[in-house]
Amino acid sequence: MTRLIKNITAVAAIAVTGTLGLLTVTVPKKTYSENENRMLQGIPKFSWSALADGSYFSGLSSCFTDHFAFRHFFVSSDAKLASGMCERVVNGVYIGNTRLIDAKVSERGKSQLNAERIKRFAGNYSGAVYLAAVPTSSGVYSSMLPAYLSYNTEKQQIDRFYAEFDRSIRKIGAYSILKMQTDDYIFLRSDTKWTGYGAYCVYKTVIQKLGFLPSPYSKYTVRHVSDDYCGNLYNRTQYMKSNKDMLDIYEYSDGAEAESCTCYYNNGDSKSAELYDLSALDSGDKYDIYTCGTCPFMRIRTSLNNDRKLLVITDDMGRNFVPFLIQHYSEIGVVCPKKMTGRLEEYVNADDYEQTLILIGADSLDDEDMLSPLEEEEE
Amino acid sequence: MTYSSLIFIYGFLPLSLLIYHASREKYRNAVLLGLSLIFCGFCGLKCLAFTVLDTAFNFLMGHIIDTHRVRKKSGTLPLVTGIAVNIAMLFVFRAADLAELREKIGLPEGVLPVGISLFTLSAVGYLIDIYSDRIRAESDPVRFGLYMLMFPRIIMGPVLRYDSFVKILSRRKCSLAETGTGMTIFVKGLAKKVLAADNLFMLYSAVRNVKSGELAAVNAWLGMIAYVLCLYFTVSGLTDMGIGLGRCFGMHFPRCFNYPLFVSKLRYFASRWHMQAVRWFRRYISSPLSAQSSVRWIKKLIFIATWGFFGFWYTFRAGGLIWGLLLGIGIVVERKFAKLKMLNATGIIVTFVFLTVSSVFLAGDNLSASIRYLGAMVGGNRMLADSLTVYLLRSYVIILLVSVYASTDLFRNMLLRSRKHKVNSVLSAATPAIVIVLLLVCTAFIAYGGASSLSPVTL
Repeated sequence: MTRLIKNITAVAAIAVTGTLGLLTVTVPKKTYSENENRMLQGIPKFSWSALADGSYFSGLSSCFTDHFAFRHFFVSSDAKLASGMCERVVNGVYIGNTRLIDAKVSERGKSQLNAERIKRFAGNYSGAVYLAAVPTSSGVYSSMLPAYLSYNTEKQQIDRFYAEFDRSIRKIGAYSILKMQTDDYIFLRSDTKWTGYGAYCVYKTVIQKLGFLPSPYSKYTVRHVSDDYCGNLYNRTQYMKSNKDMLDIYEYSDGAEAESCTCYYNNGDSKSAELYDLSALDSGDKYDIYTCGTCPFMRIRTSLNNDRKLLVITDDMGRNFVPFLIQHYSEIGVVCPKKMTGRLEEYVNADDYEQTLILIGADSLDDEDMLSPLEEEEE
Repeated sequence: MTYSSLIFIYGFLPLSLLIYHASREKYRNAVLLGLSLIFCGFCGLKCLAFTVLDTAFNFLMGHIIDTHRVRKKSGTLPLVTGIAVNIAMLFVFRAADLAELREKIGLPEGVLPVGISLFTLSAVGYLIDIYSDRIRAESDPVRFGLYMLMFPRIIMGPVLRYDSFVKILSRRKCSLAETGTGMTIFVKGLAKKVLAADNLFMLYSAVRNVKSGELAAVNAWLGMIAYVLCLYFTVSGLTDMGIGLGRCFGMHFPRCFNYPLFVSKLRYFASRWHMQAVRWFRRYISSPLSAQSSVRWIKKLIFIATWGFFGFWYTFRAGGLIWGLLLGIGIVVERKFAKLKMLNATGIIVTFVFLTVSSVFLAGDNLSASIRYLGAMVGGNRMLADSLTVYLLRSYVIILLVSVYASTDLFRNMLLRSRKHKVNSVLSAATPAIVIVLLLVCTAFIAYGGASSLSPVTL
């Protein structure tokens, strides 16, 4: 290399690193990323203890990464480059020809803790408990994954989880129902969650177990409220080779209606809400149109007067599932333990409900915090 | 903070270059030390405090040994104390069995003082050199602090003798052209780590995810070849980044790797792999011990044991020790057959196969896992290949071929041969563009997580 070339290299490299660094630091910070649908790391609060254990600098590093100039461009380029160069796994997401699939392998044995919590809850509960562990898209479409990623499938994970319970808890096999429908649009292509139709397929079996006849599909009017939804797997790769997803609302014109929906928050406040919040279509997370599960506890009172009450303990899988239950119960309590900071009884008395349905995604089974609000108070 | 992180490349590096080059020459050592302390402080004040205290301890021990240099015997005790404390610290931080002790000290899990392995070697070498009368104890604490903690060499070396380091420090020349060369070497190292090593590590991880009883032979070989290449690109990538950074600050560090993987003899591998670190083991362990005996088999035993120590230093597990011992034994046995003409033709393959097989111990979590893996490699699972083989070959064939080519000296030799040809001028003229494109591509690969953190070894 001649001296001139070396000088040009130095100037170019310093200019690129300096400019991108300067832009990262100086451009006003957003708190929320619409591309990734998550809160961004802010500048960490200074404390001597954080400085001592290194968490202050790791927070600073995360903040720099989250606000890195042109982050969206770089992350989406990563997926394009990686999928062309070697394996189609980018940031833990497998890029399939028709869909994105979560490629993280679940950890064995961790679901035992949640099983114990459910057993203790059922032991103290006066009504009947129903349990539906629902596979995510990576469980149902595991055959699309390379063999080494699909060896510990969600099917095995759910089977192991169900094996923890005796007959006092009624288990519902959502996996086999969904597995039979894989040719239909039952799971979002860019997300781990199911579509409204996927939820309906499982609802038909669940509601029969709960003692009702399911509402026929023909009675529903399906409204496609969005056809450009990009889900949580897209957020991790910023890569959209497959089509964007549709979000549907199921309306039962002659049936019961949700007369009131009240959200209860961790600080004791409550707020009236709608079953579907269409204003969320203009927000960063369009999936928030399904309001069930967006607050710690939601009480839905319907136009039915049959005095039947159901408590649903759920995660994101329940968000487009709960609306199907309105045709059968006069009151539905929707508990989202992930959103709770206190114990369950601080929000609702479970014994006020004659039945409890625990509907959780297979990806939550290993989450040690998932059902912690169900723990009893230590004496 | 690692070299291959966004905050380093786009925050710390340009800022430190600016501060360093803007400061007056006589303050540059102090500025560089200050920057190095900030770099080390990124893993927490506790780790930084340890690093600073350890540096101060070695500075002090150096002076104590130096004052007793005339009467050697009285200098032995401080030397032994110094070495023992340094080695004990290395064990406390790196040995898996001492996790409980680390917890009691209050160190965060999984956090190591940056470059603990490297600066322990530097410190021990410094104390022995003073004791052996090769050098005098350093009187300038800033210069000694730089020897121990300077951020361009703290992560992966090069491990230098103190007098060599001082020469490099005193001969440094800062210029824009030096920074240009430095950035070229840095980006080359970054590409080795991010583009080659990380993708090869994914291939190795894919194979490791399969239960050992269900692993087909071809997959096992693919996984271990990927591991060997990944190890080379990780360690040589990090040393290249360190050498490049040193060059940006005007310092010419010696290279540490010289295309060691595809060579015709194991001893060529030994002389080209992590050269400065291997030299340290030879200089401070093997040579002094060998000098004590004239018996040939004892010398060979010491040679093999030194390689064992080197392997153990990589992993702090029995597997690393076995890898090192196997290499040592391999080199000794190879010397016996050095005159065999057949080796000239088959040497590259035999050497690489030997390296691949011995690396099973370096890679394995424990001995039984390594033996099971070896079993799979020789077809113990009665499966030659399966659908995963096709998937892995289809997914990784490009990266494997490019990596194999890049780990040979073919490209360098082509450049050397074409010095007077146009192709060299064209490549030279395109260097700035190549450097920037590679830098941006690497940035894309680390943009999501903020750093390239996959690594087959932790030093």
